[in-house]
Amino acid sequence: MSFLKTIHAEFYKFRKTFTWTVLFLSPIIAGFAGFFTYSRLSDGHPSKPWMLIYSPMATIHGMLFLPLIVGVIVALICRYEHLHGGWKQYLVQPVRRWQVYLVKFGLAAGAIAVIQLLMLFALLAAGILNGIDHPFPLEMVLKSLIGGWIATFPLIALQLWVSTAWSSFAAPMAINVICTIPSMLIANSATYGPYYPWAQPLLAMMPNAKSAGILFVSAETLFLVIAGSFVIFFVGGLTFFQKRAY
Amino acid sequence: MYGRLFKTELLKIKRKWVWFLIFLGPFGVIAMETLNFVLRYDYLTKQYAGHLWGGLFQAIGFLVPPVIILGMAIIISILANIEHANASWKQLLAAPVRKRQVFLVKFALGWLLLLVSCVLLMIGALILGLALGFGTDIAWKPLLVTSFYPYLAAMPILAFQIWLAIVYKNQGVALTTGILASVFSMYGVVMPDWVPLAWPSLQTHWSNPVMNVWLGIGLAFCILMIGTVDFVRRDVHSG
Repeated sequence: MSFLKTIHAEFYKFRKTFTWTVLFLSPIIAGFAGFFTYSRLSDGHPSKPWMLIYSPMATIHGMLFLPLIVGVIVALICRYEHLHGGWKQYLVQPVRRWQVYLVKFGLAAGAIAVIQLLMLFALLAAGILNGIDHPFPLEMVLKSLIGGWIATFPLIALQLWVSTAWSSFAAPMAINVICTIPSMLIANSATYGPYYPWAQPLLAMMPNAKSAGILFVSAETLFLVIAGSFVIFFVGGLTFFQKRAY
Repeated sequence: MYGRLFKTELLKIKRKWVWFLIFLGPFGVIAMETLNFVLRYDYLTKQYAGHLWGGLFQAIGFLVPPVIILGMAIIISILANIEHANASWKQLLAAPVRKRQVFLVKFALGWLLLLVSCVLLMIGALILGLALGFGTDIAWKPLLVTSFYPYLAAMPILAFQIWLAIVYKNQGVALTTGILASVFSMYGVVMPDWVPLAWPSLQTHWSNPVMNVWLGIGLAFCILMIGTVDFVRRDVHSG
């Protein structure tokens, strides 16, 4: 029962603060980028018009925005508790600490899922406004959006760890930026790219024909890098949170 | 008065990891390019044959705009949050100082800190080029352009960030804006020249990138003035 109430409370705080507006930014910008790229480049009849719109959208969204916005969303989710001794009040309620942690993680993951869903709408809007009548490559787009979503799990877990540890907004953001910026170079490397967790949102979102698996990242990357780093960051963060004195 | 205010601000950033971040930004960029050039030495030296230094600056220049803009957002947020976190705006403004001075000194400190990181970037680029054996025939002007022009062209963002970070207590607002600006700054090529976010990439169509710098400084001055006037009139404590 307390679990449901915690979810309800978290959701309420999410709705009543500025947090939810952040969800719309990237889909809107990416949508515009896709729309204008298509109208600029589509002289003649491209064979894959949806891809022409989607590729710039996935790049602009996946390279910096998605990994960085994870940090903002998680920090915003923890902000309310950091203000005016909110953690103390929260944790004296009849809830388990791991429940609070799990619900906050779920909320952040849910928020990213909404962003990915909005990306789908932005792509549809950009395509329809450009008058594309080709069949929609639903499987490819879903693979990319879901892959990008799963690839943010380790990032959410690490950000939740540092955001519950520090009350300051800048510290978790600095860590997020320090980890994300190298992916601008690493993601280009076929050798090292698959091993760097912060490059995975972009790599998982880039459609490639070669990948026959369920997602656009290889099974090794999915299980070793994404799942592996997720487990380390989540267990580390949860253990820390259980023992943390506020 | 400005001098004394500046000293207090300098004192406040002690043990806030500000200096560490100012060092880490340029260090990170140089470290990444070191790996890039060491791992792909043969490929890159062939690609940039004849203008090795220029190639190095080009590779560094690709990273500088998003890094410096994110750096601005984080550093400015720390400077503003010192007062938000301790609820000390009232105390600070009750001192015999003008509100205008408080605002401008915070901006000046942020500006100088990031300038220091640009100087460190320049030194780092020089050391990297020499260590890679690119010779002593250094292209000085491109070195200065790479190290300082993106920062100066991005000054309007700095002026806007200080206003955002001070006026909105929730630092998520300022940091989200910083993230947006850094994402945009990577697409300078495709944006029209009049968009300020296209200036830090130095990829506008003007013949000389010094144009980006002058426009950046000019617009930053305007934004700073508007921001100062707004701050002076505003009741900061309720933000």
